[in-house]
Amino acid sequence: MATNLSSIRPIRPAYALLALLFLAAGTASAALSISAETDKKSVEINDSLYLTVTVLGDSASVPEPELPRMDNFNVYSSGRSQNISIVNGRINTSVAFTYILSPRFLGKQKIPSIPVFNGKEKYATQEIEIEVVKSAAQASRQQGAPGRRAAGRTRAADGGPAAMRPEDALYLTAETDKKTAYPNEQVNLTIRFYTAVPLTSNPQYLPPQFKNLLAEDLPPVRNGETVIKGARYAYSEIKTALFGLEEGPAAVGPASVIAQVHAESEMDPFDPGFFQKFFSGAGQGETRQVKSNSAALKILPLPEGAPASFRGAVGNFTLSAGLSPREAKTGEALNLSVTVTGTGNLKTLTAPKPPEMPDFKVYDTMSSLDISKKNDIIGGKKVFTTILIPRTEGRRTIPQIKFSFFDPQAGAYRELTAGPFEITVKKGDAEGKTFSFAHGSQAEGITPLSSDIRYVSDRARPPLAGRLAGEVSALPLWLNFFPAAAVLLSLWLARLKDFRLKNPLLFRFRRARGKARAELAAAGGELKNGRPGEAASILYDSLLSYLSDKSGCRVGGLTIKRALSLFREKFPDIGEHSLDEIRDLWEKLEGLHFSPAAATPETARDLMEKYEALLDLLEKDLKER
Amino acid sequence: MKKKILFALFALFPVSGAGAADRNSLAGYNDLYKNGSYQAALEGYKEITSKEPYDPYAFYNAGNAYFRLNKPGPAILCYCKAFRLDPRDPDIRANLDFALKRTGQTLVPEGMPRALHYVYYFLSDLELKAAITLFWWLGCLLLSVYALKTDLRGKLKRALTASGLLFAGTLLWFIARSSSPFNGAAVITAEGSARLLSGPGESFKAYATLPEARLVKILDDTDDNYYEVGIPREGIKGWVQKTAAEKI
Repeated sequence: MATNLSSIRPIRPAYALLALLFLAAGTASAALSISAETDKKSVEINDSLYLTVTVLGDSASVPEPELPRMDNFNVYSSGRSQNISIVNGRINTSVAFTYILSPRFLGKQKIPSIPVFNGKEKYATQEIEIEVVKSAAQASRQQGAPGRRAAGRTRAADGGPAAMRPEDALYLTAETDKKTAYPNEQVNLTIRFYTAVPLTSNPQYLPPQFKNLLAEDLPPVRNGETVIKGARYAYSEIKTALFGLEEGPAAVGPASVIAQVHAESEMDPFDPGFFQKFFSGAGQGETRQVKSNSAALKILPLPEGAPASFRGAVGNFTLSAGLSPREAKTGEALNLSVTVTGTGNLKTLTAPKPPEMPDFKVYDTMSSLDISKKNDIIGGKKVFTTILIPRTEGRRTIPQIKFSFFDPQAGAYRELTAGPFEITVKKGDAEGKTFSFAHGSQAEGITPLSSDIRYVSDRARPPLAGRLAGEVSALPLWLNFFPAAAVLLSLWLARLKDFRLKNPLLFRFRRARGKARAELAAAGGELKNGRPGEAASILYDSLLSYLSDKSGCRVGGLTIKRALSLFREKFPDIGEHSLDEIRDLWEKLEGLHFSPAAATPETARDLMEKYEALLDLLEKDLKER
Repeated sequence: MKKKILFALFALFPVSGAGAADRNSLAGYNDLYKNGSYQAALEGYKEITSKEPYDPYAFYNAGNAYFRLNKPGPAILCYCKAFRLDPRDPDIRANLDFALKRTGQTLVPEGMPRALHYVYYFLSDLELKAAITLFWWLGCLLLSVYALKTDLRGKLKRALTASGLLFAGTLLWFIARSSSPFNGAAVITAEGSARLLSGPGESFKAYATLPEARLVKILDDTDDNYYEVGIPREGIKGWVQKTAAEKI
């Protein structure tokens, strides 16, 4: 089952990019399937079997199965191996979780349905039936070899379990192979269950609680015999790998075993399969629980002087990297695989920091993990695969990849390197090409533009155009009536101007009175300033101008006689009194105009009043033609 | 001269920059986003949008935070608001397009050339309104001068025609934009989906479900509790609760 990413079939780069579109979706909605199988269908009571649970999914990571409680087996995690493949745009992840199962009862035993939950739906395996049979040695002894049992009794009598204190006949120990360790450095915990008496029921193992430690099972269970203080004991040994989380104290709590002991020994504790034997025998015994001692550990701080590339890895590793293909076009995907192999806590191992690659667009990194537990040492291989998209054409270099770890054996940091990689990038097709990408059970065409949303903006102000547009749009609507009003006013003024240009005499006629009034006011000002001569002169000019405007005759050609004649002609309804008044005022003003020294304030004031009265009189008599 | 004009513009709109987001605060919110504290970052972005309703980037950032929080409805709502304020911004376009695609929708309608779509949305709604206002004032000013100054009529004729055409063009553009899917529209923000009822009340039959983040046209919003909405693509209409959809 164990494969690595280097065995992945060559992928079409564009599909790889598309595949990344779905990485962020995680497992929540991914399609899953789960299956389980055992390496044997029949197992002896003192033997064990391998259970492999395989979870298949169409995303980069799949959830772990949730093993149900199995009272008829002791279960130990043995490892996992992962395989990711991207073929024709489809991601397929397969993770095989391996467990070692030690049977606890004879007869047909069932491995229950094992579920896996993707956040929305639950998938489960079929039940598996296992036949648990007596061990061959046990069977042959029952058939006609009572000597062994007798020998056992003899040993028991010799060893004196009958003389032993009950607490000495059955006990549990826990010890670690180190008392101090660095974070993520492996410490092996050994828990041994000793018995010098036969057991009539299944000893149930209750693992300890851990503080500031991560635990990983180290199956299988080892059985053996030993002599302690002259007494012969059978023992069963369970090992667990521990990894310190952070600097400080760590502790292993007490483990427990619950066992049933015969009042009278009928089973040989020195039988290699004695732990399973109690299931084959009948009869009830006394239930006893034994607890192990606690163990304390000290997690040491990592020494100073870690390289810049150090990201917490502790153990002993090797590094390799590969790039494929070595020729690509801009916009096409490349597969950069970095493999870390060795011993250490690979589960928590983080990907080496990718170097600066401005010529490439760097996508999320996928990882696959294979764990082995050979010789009780946790190790294996972790492969980090990063998809790179060249941005520019030409000869490009992917810089050296650095990975460093702390070697607890040597007490020093080590830095490993891989690469650099040279690659030739040719000019690619235009971006935004449509690809057909099949995802899960629904195949549909999509147009990929990017693999994820773009990053947040750091622009603190909206664009000027937008701000101004916002302000302008917020102005009240009624303000827009002003330009319309201005246009209407302008059009009216233009028409008026045009009319005036076309009818100048009429305008002079209409404006005559207003003009005369203004001149009267000016004359009044002169009089006030003690210049009656000037006031009279203004009044004279004003009268001529007024008569000229009303008669339509130019001032230069106007005499009293002509003016009166024109008035009679144009305004037949004008009274003789008005004409007399015009003549009288004209003569008086003309006299003063030519001899201003004769003008006194009183005469000037009289003439002003007379002129004002004449204007009122004439305005009534002179109607528009 | 350019500086003087800019100064005059700022003097004309003294409040323009008053509500602009403080650069340090924004950097703080972006740091929260960078470190994965999307909810905290979102609160900051929302604070900016409440102070600065014309800031497309604040809506864009809020959309990103919602997207990371796996809330596609509010994310698309924020992206739509940002897009309406600054449709030319490539980041806003890209994220709106991306989010719409993730929910089975598209920014550029099928069969429509991308260039035409870009031109159609080259100006924001506010910019179009402002342009109409500007060309209206300019046209009226020129017409007034044209009417009063007979001696300048020859020179003003072209400018007057141009301003009239621009006014008419922007007005027609604005009218054409009324059919935009973002105009008079809402986004389904209810988590999961919202029920499309055959009438404005719980007693009416629910005959369809609208998935979260779906864009719908608001046909009538006069009811206190329900929007009457249309779904043009499917050619159906119905009522959704106002709490399940939010206007863009």
